[in-house]
Amino acid sequence: MLNKLAFAGVKSRLKDYVVLFFGLIMSSAIFYMFESLATNKAFIKANAQQITGANFIFLFGAILLTIITLVYVFYANSFLMSMRRHDYGLFMMLGAKQSKIGQLILVETMAIGTIASVIGTIIGWGFTASVGPFLMSRMIGNKLQHFNAFYVPAIVTTIVLYLILFLIAGIINRLALTKTSVLQLLKGDSQPNRPVLKPVSQLLQVVVGVLLLMLGYYAMSHVEKFALSTIPIGLVTIVLGTYFLFNAIFVWLILLLKRSGWASLGLRNFTLSQLSFRLHNYTKILSVVSILIALSLGAITVGIGMQKQVTALSTASEAYTMAIKNPSRHTNHLIDKLTLDTKVTYQQKETSKIIYYRADQFKDRPLEFTGFQSPLNSKQKNRLASPTYQNLTSTQLTQHPEKLMALQPNAPQKPFRLVSRTTFNKLPVHAQRLTLFRVKNLQADKTDLKHIVTSMGNPAVDTVPGAYGTFVLATAMFGGLEFMGFFLGIAFLAMLASCLMFKILSGAATDKRRYEMLNKIGARPSRLRASIAREILVLFVLPAIVGVVHVLFGLLMFKVLMLNPYYQIWLPFTIFFVLYMIYYIITVRLYEHIVLPKLRIDN
Amino acid sequence: MTMTPVVSVRDLHKTYGKTGQKQYEALKGISFDVETDEFVGIMGASGSGKTTLLNILATLDAPTSGEVEINQQVLANLKGNQIADFRAKQVGFIFQDFNLLENLTNYENIALPLSLQNISRKKAQPEVQRIAKQLNIESLLEKYPTEISGGQKQRVAAARALVSHPAILFGDEPTGALDSNSARDLLEMLNTINHDQQVPILLVTHDPFSASYCQRILFIKDGKIGQEIKKGTHTRQQFYQAILDTLGTFD
Ligand SMILES: Nc1ncnc2c1ncn2[C@@H]1O[C@H](COP(=O)(O)OP(=O)(O)OP(=O)(O)O)[C@@H](O)[C@H]1O
Ligand SMILES: [Mg+2]
Repeated sequence: MLNKLAFAGVKSRLKDYVVLFFGLIMSSAIFYMFESLATNKAFIKANAQQITGANFIFLFGAILLTIITLVYVFYANSFLMSMRRHDYGLFMMLGAKQSKIGQLILVETMAIGTIASVIGTIIGWGFTASVGPFLMSRMIGNKLQHFNAFYVPAIVTTIVLYLILFLIAGIINRLALTKTSVLQLLKGDSQPNRPVLKPVSQLLQVVVGVLLLMLGYYAMSHVEKFALSTIPIGLVTIVLGTYFLFNAIFVWLILLLKRSGWASLGLRNFTLSQLSFRLHNYTKILSVVSILIALSLGAITVGIGMQKQVTALSTASEAYTMAIKNPSRHTNHLIDKLTLDTKVTYQQKETSKIIYYRADQFKDRPLEFTGFQSPLNSKQKNRLASPTYQNLTSTQLTQHPEKLMALQPNAPQKPFRLVSRTTFNKLPVHAQRLTLFRVKNLQADKTDLKHIVTSMGNPAVDTVPGAYGTFVLATAMFGGLEFMGFFLGIAFLAMLASCLMFKILSGAATDKRRYEMLNKIGARPSRLRASIAREILVLFVLPAIVGVVHVLFGLLMFKVLMLNPYYQIWLPFTIFFVLYMIYYIITVRLYEHIVLPKLRIDN
Repeated sequence: MTMTPVVSVRDLHKTYGKTGQKQYEALKGISFDVETDEFVGIMGASGSGKTTLLNILATLDAPTSGEVEINQQVLANLKGNQIADFRAKQVGFIFQDFNLLENLTNYENIALPLSLQNISRKKAQPEVQRIAKQLNIESLLEKYPTEISGGQKQRVAAARALVSHPAILFGDEPTGALDSNSARDLLEMLNTINHDQQVPILLVTHDPFSASYCQRILFIKDGKIGQEIKKGTHTRQQFYQAILDTLGTFD
């Protein structure tokens, strides 16, 4: 009997269950993907050669991901409970014992968790197998050897973590149920939250909130002073500051709007009351969401910025992409196929102590230099995107011999001398060639450049002078960071938006009655829809605004690491807003589906 | 005396269930009129179709066939937003379970139909005050529905139903959830409003005492009007007795 009832309850809200399942499956798929990539021995090994501390970064990422997963599972569960509470109330009214219901909750929650995490792991495995290698090779710049998407430790971690989370959630649900009366279960919470202005306490909250935020922003913009403690300081102050601000300003804003003439028309007043109705509940999630928005936006921005920065920095590091001594015909051929900006070959003769060059050749084709000097000043930073090159006169060259010495493939480097053509020819050593070239776009030609290195007998890239070597090393170094930023950013974004969605939908069941009443009073369906869209819009936009402000300040933290943390910031913001919009629209649709009355004249 | 009736119902049928599925005919041809100053009661056993009838009259549901005219407006001719607007302007409705929005104060609840018609706060204010005074709920306006008693809630609901000067007031067992004192208060008040302001009232009720406040009672049985009795010049006590008698023979 109970089973039949339980099943009927599920059937009537199939759509919502589909959303819940989909969300959980995606979250566990993402988790598996991250685990299998980041904790994969093959990956760590390949990465560790190039960057120390990679492990630490990935561990940090895994912890963050676990935290957001925890938050996510919690909200998904409260949504589940909101769908089931009416049924549970019914069962209890029919005489089911509380312990029996408690058991039912635990079993249901665990079943959903198990099914979702198992399916999620399988899908995550599919993701990893299909896009993992591509993602990694793009980020790291190398193909990973022995990479296997099926990674047992990751499977175990994912499933065990989800089972534990769901066990906790089930126990919490069970406790929550035993504290609620049957009547409350059946009717849902209908206690109004009278919004009151407590000027003193609210003003205090605003002041404390602003002070905390200012402290957090200050710490983040002076990261060189606070060093490692920036992150904990920033997190604590900003989380608390955001909470206080929301708490104080939200009530105040709603009351202000309610008193205005604007609110007196249509359903506006109702919409505002809806918002203030579960005010305290929302303050928490809105603060959490705004922080998560900041984190994920920050992660994507930094991730993308790193990638751009690698190219820009390496391009600017040297005037030439590569310097090759005595390139073979094959190598030369490969060089000519590149999209070249410039190419020059100088003759040289090398003795045990000195290298001789022909002065006339340097007069014909002067050596170029970038003019960037580290540390970069802000003017130079702005020019990084499109570097210009200048010619070195012979005098300059003698004054700055390091400009040419840096381009000599041998180590240790030897001093050089510019001599006349006749002197050069008389030297009793075999003449060699030094070929220098520069491609238009390092990123675009990176595969062909790699072929050139191979054609030279595959020397270690750091022994090949020029921007390419820097590029390869930097890609390896920042690649892990970029991967983390991008991956975590998108994962966070998807999860925080669905947290908000679940939170809003959890309240929908109890809102249903209100929309039915409004319909009976004669509110136009279009007005009901507009009211819903507005209410949910506010809940989405408020944390977005706060989150964006946070991230704009938070990015200051990266100014020691990055040339320009705000470089091309529109890209992550666009990704964010598109994703966020999609979630907003889905939430509105689902909400409408739950609350809008069917009872209507069908003309 | 000939007047155009406020409500005129002709041969109303309502069948629940889609064709091909299990069908149930809840109304099987109902016709009656309500005049501009009448207080009409509708009685009948549970499941006889009272709520169905009222929902159709209040445009909350569509009839399968037949015609309803309220305030010279044929309901079937209303399209789209006109239906909701008609509901907001022309009909007042009070329900057994009050149907107050618990996230709005009583004042805001009463003012809601006015704001749905985009009447400014300035113009709405005196209207709300007037009706609140009439129903003696001025002191409750700033409270929330959860903070007042059932009888008080029903007064607020009545105020909300009346605030936009509807052409007719419908009540679906509005005294059903009230104790006898509160019920009496509400009925007295409805009576006064009907009498003083010429607001016609159509009241569905199970309770003979509530019915005795009406001037005329329609008895519905199996989806049809089975019988009709009028108060005429009788006292309410006599009418109450007549209702009890009719109910006795009716079932
Ligand atoms: N949506 C519906 N779908 C199918 N049948 C319905 C629907 N609503 C009502 N009915 C049926 O129509 C009949 C009349 O219902 P209605 O609610 O009008 O009765 P009522 O006279 O108001 O009863 P009560 O006094 O118990 O409120 C009942 O037999 C009921 O089962
Ligand atoms: Mg009924």
